[in-house]
Amino acid sequence: MGNCCSDVAGGRAAIGGTAGSVHNPADTPNDAVDNFLKSRGYHGLFSQIELSFSASGLRDRDVLSKSDPMMVLYARGKNGALEEIGRTEVVLNSLNPTWITKHTLIYHFEVVQVLVFRVYDVDTQFHNVDVKMLKLEEQQFLGEATCALSEIITKPDQSLTLDLQGEDSTRSTHSQNCGKLVVHAEECVNSKTSVEIIFRCSDLEYRDLFSKSDPFLLILKVVEGGTQIPICKTEVVKNDLHPLWKSVFLNIQQVGGKDRPLIIECYNFNSNGKHDLMGKVQKSLAELEKLYLGGQGEKLFLPTGSGQNYHNKLLKSQLYLDKFTECVQHTFLDYLAGGFELNFMVAIDFTASNGNPRLPDSLHYIDPSGRPNAYQRAILEVGEVLQFHDTDKRFPTWGFGARPIDGPVSHCFNLNGSSHYCEVEGIQGIMMAYTSALLNVSLAGPTLFGPVITNAALIASQSATDNGRKYFVLLIITDGVVTDLQETKDALVKASDLPLSILIVGVGGADFKEMEILDADKGERLESSSGRVASRDIVQFVPFRDVQNGEISVVQALLAELPSQFLTYMRSRKIQPNL
Amino acid sequence: MGGSSKTLEITVISGENLCVDQKPVTENAYVIVRTESINCCKTSMAREDGGHPSWNEKFLLDMPMHARSITFEVQCKISSGAVRSVGVARIALSDFLGGSVPESSLQFLSYRLRNWHGRRSGVINFSARVKSPEEDLSKDQMKEEKEMMVNCKSGEFENEKNECGVVTGIPVRWNCYK
Repeated sequence: MGNCCSDVAGGRAAIGGTAGSVHNPADTPNDAVDNFLKSRGYHGLFSQIELSFSASGLRDRDVLSKSDPMMVLYARGKNGALEEIGRTEVVLNSLNPTWITKHTLIYHFEVVQVLVFRVYDVDTQFHNVDVKMLKLEEQQFLGEATCALSEIITKPDQSLTLDLQGEDSTRSTHSQNCGKLVVHAEECVNSKTSVEIIFRCSDLEYRDLFSKSDPFLLILKVVEGGTQIPICKTEVVKNDLHPLWKSVFLNIQQVGGKDRPLIIECYNFNSNGKHDLMGKVQKSLAELEKLYLGGQGEKLFLPTGSGQNYHNKLLKSQLYLDKFTECVQHTFLDYLAGGFELNFMVAIDFTASNGNPRLPDSLHYIDPSGRPNAYQRAILEVGEVLQFHDTDKRFPTWGFGARPIDGPVSHCFNLNGSSHYCEVEGIQGIMMAYTSALLNVSLAGPTLFGPVITNAALIASQSATDNGRKYFVLLIITDGVVTDLQETKDALVKASDLPLSILIVGVGGADFKEMEILDADKGERLESSSGRVASRDIVQFVPFRDVQNGEISVVQALLAELPSQFLTYMRSRKIQPNL
Repeated sequence: MGGSSKTLEITVISGENLCVDQKPVTENAYVIVRTESINCCKTSMAREDGGHPSWNEKFLLDMPMHARSITFEVQCKISSGAVRSVGVARIALSDFLGGSVPESSLQFLSYRLRNWHGRRSGVINFSARVKSPEEDLSKDQMKEEKEMMVNCKSGEFENEKNECGVVTGIPVRWNCYK
């Protein structure tokens, strides 16, 4: 039936894509920006955050009137260098200014974005000069504050109050009373509400020669200027004059609002690509909602005639709506604002294959000059990002594959040396526990992950039943290939239904090919020995590599996947952020 | 068999990569769920497939005390009216109950289906929860829930006294009938 030449299957597929929108104000995100960032290696979820600023209690520097403050925003790079990213306007005569200028930046979950805020008092002679042209050396410095972007976002009301420090931070009396700075973060509202609609038609006309029509719907939006842009297409229903299509999802932001007129056209599918129009309806989303609530149908019309005799012929065919529901898709930042936490857990490989820790060629060698070894670097990279998301900053830390003093080989011992609790305080606590454990245990083997994963799963399931808003991230750093592959798979499959993600980082020069089986991105879904299949992919594995200049670290690329894993878990269980 | 039996609330969600004779199942697939008794629950046929049908149907299964496993069987009705078995997953209840996760919390599970020849024929996704008897507060509620159970008794003989459908046999000496 002419299937060879045309993309019949593709033509029948339901599309919910975006057409390029004609209007795109400069500060709203669009697909091109997303693609640009993705091509530069910024994977994962990133959202645009808008920062607004206000200050209070600023020092009075002017003689006859109050200060005229202006704020300059810098980003601190990895090497400590400051790069200016924005300036507010000058607020005249105020010691408690609220600046109107807001700054938009992109939030990257996997990077610690350090922001530096400096407040200056602008001298009267510069008041009419454009803010960008002002030379900061000529202004009077009022105070400075620093924070990480994650700190602002994880606060309950997404506002952080910082104390401004004066120039001479050595003189402690001077740095007091420089005032306070309040930074408020807000996610740029972007495509959160979607509408799910099920369309149905009745009494369509016969268009095909020997059979009934194969109808499908095309939904277009009308933009200012009269151009019609297709947004969505349903699937083709074969041989049916009373078709019922599958749900279509329309993004309200993409449509341009509930009152924007939409054109719904019904075509008869022809495999030669020339589909003929069977009728159309022009309604906005609000009007469609009224149709649905009233249970009525809308008659299709067909534009006939040409030129001056153009008129619309009303047909017998009617369009009905069987479903019209709005659903809100919450973003990762919504959950953070709702008080959800990411808890960090670490497990370190103490097997003998690492080498004697006292010798410099061992992976566990602690360099006296302070240069971190591979294990310490991995912990720092992941821990520094995740520490802001954990309110009590207590991290369970384990070691495996070693013999603690006077004991048998343990595959999950607490690194802090205690037998009752496994937590340490802060990233510093992890480092201290690690270095002291190196002196107190004797490395042994083999490399088994099962006990550590089971322990982490126990903590996660206990928190899940307490209805905690916690999501756990376990970092396993290992130098060798796992020995108990099937038991590890069993433990992972059992843990796949829990709020847990596992990052496995391989250090050293071993061949980690076998470990890639654990990562479902590269292999199949994990299957346990009892036939159970992992409900979701919770493992990410990456071999640790030294970072070249400017490259994104591999561990950071792993971290970038975490928000999507978190969202998949929350959405599949329909857990709302409860703002 | 007396004693209180537990009630298992199962929601059959979807299937993935269902195939018969290495070809994906195209239409009319449905699932039969049973826990070691003649009573079983059957879903309706999935509308649109491509090897990934979705049912999203909830059932309440009475788990008899002796039950140690739960079986999901996916079958499909082909155009000639015959029924073909796509695959079976026979799951030990101890595999997801009785672990560190409490029984009353909702778990989302996926299990491998294997066909008559033992080959893989897809994955079944479902969610399970043990419903404790205290939850059935009023009689009206219990009536509603009993109506949700779709009973399909596969055997002709119904043992009215024994609802679990278990036959109790008493061994008799063969010689005494000579």
